[in-house]
Amino acid sequence: MGIPTDIVLYTAATPNGIKVSILLEELGLEYKIRSIDLGKNEQKEQWFLDINPNGRIPAITDTWTDGTPLRVFESGAILQYLVDRYDKDHKVSYPRDSKETWEVNSWLHWQMGGLGPMQGQANHFNRYAPEKIQYGIDRYTNETRRLYSVLDTQLAKSASGYLVGDRVTIADIASWGWVASHAWAGVSLAEFPHLEKWLHALLERPGFEQGRHVPKPHTAFELAKLSPEEMDKKAEETRRWIQESMKAEAKK
Amino acid sequence: MILKPIKLYWRNHVPNPSKVLIILEELSLPYETSWVELDGLKKQPYTDVNPNGRVPAIEDPNSGITLWESGAIVQYLIDTYDKDNKISYSSFPEKYLTVQWAYFQASGQGPYFGQAAWFNLFHEGAYGESPESAKIRYGNEVKRIAGVLDGVLAKSEWLVGDKCTYADLAFTMWNMQIAFFMGSRTGEHAWDPDAFPHFTRWQNACLARASVKKVVSVLGEQEVKSG
Repeated sequence: MGIPTDIVLYTAATPNGIKVSILLEELGLEYKIRSIDLGKNEQKEQWFLDINPNGRIPAITDTWTDGTPLRVFESGAILQYLVDRYDKDHKVSYPRDSKETWEVNSWLHWQMGGLGPMQGQANHFNRYAPEKIQYGIDRYTNETRRLYSVLDTQLAKSASGYLVGDRVTIADIASWGWVASHAWAGVSLAEFPHLEKWLHALLERPGFEQGRHVPKPHTAFELAKLSPEEMDKKAEETRRWIQESMKAEAKK
Repeated sequence: MILKPIKLYWRNHVPNPSKVLIILEELSLPYETSWVELDGLKKQPYTDVNPNGRVPAIEDPNSGITLWESGAIVQYLIDTYDKDNKISYSSFPEKYLTVQWAYFQASGQGPYFGQAAWFNLFHEGAYGESPESAKIRYGNEVKRIAGVLDGVLAKSEWLVGDKCTYADLAFTMWNMQIAFFMGSRTGEHAWDPDAFPHFTRWQNACLARASVKKVVSVLGEQEVKSG
């Protein structure tokens, strides 16, 4: 049994969603899972917009020490909140007045502002765009490769095998789900040996293994084994949903 | 204690280094900029400062830290130097709500406004005709984000609590660019600030702050200093 909390995690099986469940598992916290059906646009329903006005997963609700309710959205902000409040022993973080804290924060922001959005655009142009735009595919696939090489270079210098210092941190957790989904974005790990090693080494941690399957089984490694044609077929259903919701949002 | 100047690695006219400059001004910190040439970003010695090869980065001789990513730099400056909470909160839940909006800016606003700017302004010059579907995609995202902010700002003057914070100011420089990078769009794809009245009122209030005015006045400079 874990440490009891009032945390409810609103999530779906995406790289941003599993960041939070991996951290919750690493910290040994108990939490409730509320799976959000993206295909039915549940994230745009009013009750969820009251939790996250941006209409995206993940988000959490919790109870503060004075008994009042709290909501946090944006995966990076959630990771910081959980570590600040629940990782007093620094299992996956560093003391607040250490330089390592700020190095972790740099990598976390790098993932949030760079790797996530750019790999997301690579997914869009490789898998979901209404027309094939070679330029769009190249622009974002190449930027994702560049960002992977930044990670690879950092890991090559690391004695511990983690991004910052001697332990796993939210810097590793934030990027892991994105790197695990590399094939979907059209990027191979063959040219990034340190990154590939890091990806699989982290999988041996029980927290990563349990957290990645929330709220449903993590399929990135199975998807990576599919042929391009099979991947394209898998993308078809999502493509239809994404284009419909893009049209609906433009009309607002 | 007299502080030594914080070194800000800087390029002008781009929104992220000036986002940090606004905070340095708000907190009245001593600083000096260090210009990085465009072709120097992705190679040593600059990649020793920031392995990601982008501006901004800072070196703070008062604590010995070197730091990159604008959002991480701003959090460091706030934690270290905004002890009076001039533009931040230490109270619950405002402290975490401010972090939340700062992430929304760094992951939601910046990257997508950047893509809209690319496809509307720069793609054509580099590669020929810019794909219309990409212009529509990112133009719609600019409006969606403005809509999220407009909805929240209809109910309150600032994003968090009753004062301007570093989260509000994180959005200002990219917002300032909208009219410029959406200028070529027409009809239903055009940018109309009046469609987002609360957003526009808020942006104007940010632009009216002394810190932002100073930063706007030095946007063309290669060298900027405090004072």
